[in-house]
Amino acid sequence: MFKVENLKFRYPKNKEDTINGINFDIAKGEIFGFLGPSGAGKSTTQMIMIKILENFEGSIYYNDKDITKFSDEFYEDIGVSFEMPIHFTKMTAMENIDFFLKLYKNKGDVESLMKRVNLWEDRDKMVGEYSKGMKIRLNIVRALLNNPNMLFLDEPTNGLDPMNAMILKDMIREFRDNGGTVFITSHIMSDIDQLCDRVAFIVEGRIIEMDSPRNLKIKYGKRSMTLEYKENGETTKVEFPLDSIGKNKEFLNLLQTKEIETLHSGETTLEDIFIKVTGVQLKDEE
Amino acid sequence: MKSRLWILVKGELQRLNKYNMTFISILVAFLWGVMLFFVNAEILGTLLPLVILLDATMMSLMYVGSVMYFEKSEATISTMLVTPVSNAELLLSKLLANTLHNMGASALLIAVFVIIKDVQVEYLFIIIGIIIATASHTLLGIVMAYFSKDFTGVLMTVMVFSLTMMTPLILLMLNIIEGEVWEVVLLINPIQAAKEVISAGFTGYVFTYKYYLSLGYLLFGSLALYKFYALPRFQDYAIKNSGV
Ligand SMILES: Nc1ncnc2c1ncn2[C@@H]1O[C@H](COP(=O)(O)OP(=O)(O)OP(=O)(O)O)[C@@H](O)[C@H]1O
Ligand SMILES: [Mg+2]
Repeated sequence: MFKVENLKFRYPKNKEDTINGINFDIAKGEIFGFLGPSGAGKSTTQMIMIKILENFEGSIYYNDKDITKFSDEFYEDIGVSFEMPIHFTKMTAMENIDFFLKLYKNKGDVESLMKRVNLWEDRDKMVGEYSKGMKIRLNIVRALLNNPNMLFLDEPTNGLDPMNAMILKDMIREFRDNGGTVFITSHIMSDIDQLCDRVAFIVEGRIIEMDSPRNLKIKYGKRSMTLEYKENGETTKVEFPLDSIGKNKEFLNLLQTKEIETLHSGETTLEDIFIKVTGVQLKDEE
Repeated sequence: MKSRLWILVKGELQRLNKYNMTFISILVAFLWGVMLFFVNAEILGTLLPLVILLDATMMSLMYVGSVMYFEKSEATISTMLVTPVSNAELLLSKLLANTLHNMGASALLIAVFVIIKDVQVEYLFIIIGIIIATASHTLLGIVMAYFSKDFTGVLMTVMVFSLTMMTPLILLMLNIIEGEVWEVVLLINPIQAAKEVISAGFTGYVFTYKYYLSLGYLLFGSLALYKFYALPRFQDYAIKNSGV
């Protein structure tokens, strides 16, 4: 569906490349995530993929066609949300949406989209009077209003409350389940973990690792069981490997003889793996 | 394709209204009108074309500069870039909408004075004059906005440009600079050329090659500016102001 080969990019005024030769492809019907710290080049990559930044090195194909060969019709097919929600602030939400809707051949069902993100009631409010979260939700409606085949979402949950973030994630999954393809960037590990079929770790314009969250956990994760028990008024914590734990005598013995306080299976989180693999912290975690 | 351009133009006009530009331009026209209403017929004859000239040139630069600044501050261009709209459609719609909008006030002023003060105009030439003067200066304003970083920048560029260009015009009018050579050479000044084509709309103008020179200059100059500068540089401008 989408293929990126040896992509390199340098901003005209910079001395060094922002993107240092990355390769990946996104299959149809897949949610593909870019996870990386601030400044890694996630937004830059998205801007190149959606034909806004030009003059890159390497090749990018959408449905086997070089994206530089597409005309503006390319945009009939995709939906984009930028890092910052962008609208005409002195117009109402509906005036904004109606204006953009008219520019597409393919017109989605605005009412159900607006209802889905709980904005239908506030549709006649000026966007300037919207809260940040409302603007972000409106942004998603805008990205979906032409019934695109592929979505590009730059940090879509950033700034959303947990409830709305969940609605949004459901929408993204539903979009995928109906055959849509998604490129999503984030520095929020849990989003990527919950949503993505595959994830690429990006640091300083390089992809360090790429696989499904599940495979990454199997590959790098330390599977263990942590047990806390009380003895003589003191709490003791012991960790056991998860593999063949049912035959672990010491573990079984503790279970049978001690007063257990807590019992956790500790899978390594994607974030731990990210730090382990890249040696870089995912900053401003929210 | 044609209808999409119309949607864009309509959108621009709607926004000009929402952002109070329509109100401001009608207010300005009204103030000009009040001022002109109280001058005697003789002065009105020289002042009205001058006011129309200022409205078509300096005010066009100012309005389009402000509009582009508002647009920059909302970073909405980046969203336009990811719709099926082409850069040419985007730029052209801006040019058309702002030209239409800026012409409104001039048209209103002339209509009022034709009716109440019996000012004599040649309709065809006044229409041509206002359209070409407004469109060429609107395009100039768009290009100036490419270079301006903030609102003060827009105002400064417009002010400096207008003052620099108005000076020789006034010197000529007051006969401080004289001679046909200067009259022709100074047509390179777009405001001077605009003065020529607008004056042609008022009864009593004597047509010479200077009219055709000015008309051709504004027309082909604008076409060239559009094709070789404004359009090719639009993407760069849009990206720079997309807030990413
Ligand atoms: N317009 C620009 N001109 C020059 N350099 C830029 C420009 N935009 C971004 N950069 C640089 O490119 C690098 C990557 O930026 P980018 O915005 O792609 O990062 P990101 O991974 O999206 O970060 P974040 O999580 O903060 O959004 C940064 O070092 C940044 O300074
Ligand atoms: Mg970013």
